[in-house]
Amino acid sequence: MSKMVKPDELLKTISYTPPAEGWMDLPVNTSPGNWAYPAKQDKVEYLMHEMPGIFANPRQWNPEDVDWKLPSNWKEIVVNGFRERLDKYRSLKLFMDICVRCGACADKCHFFIGSGDPKNMPVLRAELMRSIYRGEFTTAGKILGKLTGARVLEEDVLKEWFIYFYQCTECRRCSLYCPYGIDTAEVTMMARELLHLCGININWILEPVSNCNRTGNHLGIQPHAFKDIVEFMVDDIETITGKRVKCPLNEKGHEVLFITPSGDAFADPGIYTFMGYLMLFDAIGLDFTMSTYASEGGNFGLFTHADAMKSINGKMYAEANRLGCKWILGGECGHMWRVVNQYMDTMNGNMQGPQMKTPVNPITGTVFENAKQTKMVHIAEFTADLIKHGKLKFDKSRNANVVATFHDSCNTARGMGMFEEPRYVLKNVLDNFHEMPEGTIREQTFCCAGGSGLNTDEIMDIRMRGGLPRGNALKHVVDKHGVNTMACVCAIDRATLIPLADYWAPGVNITGLHELVANALVLDGEEERTMNLRQEPLPGFEEE
Amino acid sequence: MTLMEAIAARSDELAQKWAELILGTYPKQTQAVWRSNRDQFSNPVGHAILTSTSELMPLMLTWNDAQAVANSLGTLVKIRAVQDFSPAQALSFVFLLKKLLRQEFLPELSARGAVEELLSFETRVDNLATIAFDIYVAARDQVARMRVDEVKRAHTSIVRRANLMQKDVAAQKAE
Repeated sequence: MSKMVKPDELLKTISYTPPAEGWMDLPVNTSPGNWAYPAKQDKVEYLMHEMPGIFANPRQWNPEDVDWKLPSNWKEIVVNGFRERLDKYRSLKLFMDICVRCGACADKCHFFIGSGDPKNMPVLRAELMRSIYRGEFTTAGKILGKLTGARVLEEDVLKEWFIYFYQCTECRRCSLYCPYGIDTAEVTMMARELLHLCGININWILEPVSNCNRTGNHLGIQPHAFKDIVEFMVDDIETITGKRVKCPLNEKGHEVLFITPSGDAFADPGIYTFMGYLMLFDAIGLDFTMSTYASEGGNFGLFTHADAMKSINGKMYAEANRLGCKWILGGECGHMWRVVNQYMDTMNGNMQGPQMKTPVNPITGTVFENAKQTKMVHIAEFTADLIKHGKLKFDKSRNANVVATFHDSCNTARGMGMFEEPRYVLKNVLDNFHEMPEGTIREQTFCCAGGSGLNTDEIMDIRMRGGLPRGNALKHVVDKHGVNTMACVCAIDRATLIPLADYWAPGVNITGLHELVANALVLDGEEERTMNLRQEPLPGFEEE
Repeated sequence: MTLMEAIAARSDELAQKWAELILGTYPKQTQAVWRSNRDQFSNPVGHAILTSTSELMPLMLTWNDAQAVANSLGTLVKIRAVQDFSPAQALSFVFLLKKLLRQEFLPELSARGAVEELLSFETRVDNLATIAFDIYVAARDQVARMRVDEVKRAHTSIVRRANLMQKDVAAQKAE
């Protein structure tokens, strides 16, 4: 919903015809609902101290105000920052130069599809930056100005960047269709870096970054509290299965370090997925530990700045070394895997201690050659391998009331090409599985509209319209096949898909993959189960 | 031919014209993209506009199934409730049907002194607007509720721990 129209304006007429001006002349709408809250001053101050050169201008400000309290030399800062990045990243220079405006990406962005706002067409979103590139860095643009699509850098341009580069989830669906492979996500990353230099930022990203830097996880939970919370889940598993499973924390000398997003530990329904991991590890007797510092797989640095991402990612190898682990098993997370698969080896590969080895599944002997560089294995690959070798016992009847579909997280799908493993696992733990329509899954998957640090509630409208393509495809399988559960392998999905389904396809439960695995998994020495991990009655036990 | 008969005879055409007027509430570049793609999954808004209008035209004529009317309105109203529209703009699409009907039928009806036929049909359009209003408000309520629920879910374990700590403190005091 946009800002309410005043009664006297309504008296004149309801204007439902959009303005006819070209996009460059349309003022950006900075009314509430169009932006996420700016970062708290103390978080920016802390980060400026911890990660110098990335953040600036800590202050209280309100995007609705005309005055954003920018530094007096903001223009110089942006132009210099832009120049520095054009020199540093050849990809950025290419992306600024080679777009031929063919329009292949125009209708591929979920935010455009849902909102109908042309500035959400990937080509036009990138053009917000390209126009400045032409105006400031190309001779033709300097001389001919608007004729070449160039424009002058003004405060309104920066405001427009803030509104629209925070309506991009860096999901990379558009780049899939670009004949040149222009990665709009990287354009967004650069725009956000430049905005940070002027102190334009959002709290939903900077607070987790600052917490992660301090305690290792997004919520700033300290080791003793993390331990208590893990104990809750061990207690709950005992209630459900009669069995007390182990979850070693910070113990040295185990083979595997397990890292998962902290959303799995703190948030509903991620906690059930976390319980699923622990039950799986118990079933196979995995020699593992968790770390209370590497207590977060997520890395909001990815949505902030390359150096912030590197810094936050470093704890994974640092903790593997401290605890003497040979390899790292990673839980169900989206952008954690984007960082691991695309950047980790380049950024922090040199931190791997000599004890780290190419991961080998200790139960099946499978060598994960694909993880040779990073020494990190995705839990869906790990579990699929266990199932393939017949190492797990399942009672599918416990999932008999589940009619499932699978949502490919943008990051594991387009960022690491993992399509089959989660589906293979799902089909082995339940009987009723239906794909959403072609063109909305696998590499063409539609985003949950909450990625890249946009999963905050104050922009729920933006998220709902961005979530329409996903919700619409989900609604289709609900109507056609009676789907009642959407499984996913991403902690942000587990949070954001709940309202998305609630709004567009009511009646669909959101679960992690390993919640469904653990529901069906038969543990040695467990009692007869009457309830699932959510402590709801299993099929056949409804009356008790 | 009565107005109802005339509308029935041109139902598809009128639905299409109404859809065009609704498309006109979006920016020009967007109209071009949405007009050229009728796929349900890659263009859900364009598809919803076409589906709603084509389902609603015959329902307006029979006017005996409120649930079917609400269902056909539902998706489009929910879409417009979260797009960047003011409430008035979001629901204006219903009144575009009045605009269309007057444009198409008023001259002929005035000529033969039968304007009341149009007025009586327009009452249905007014009722359509009130149904849309109900759906719109329910959608906005839902968005507000989802925001609160999400914040609660995000801290389930933390709140569970905090509650336990509170109990510990209270127990000690009691001792």
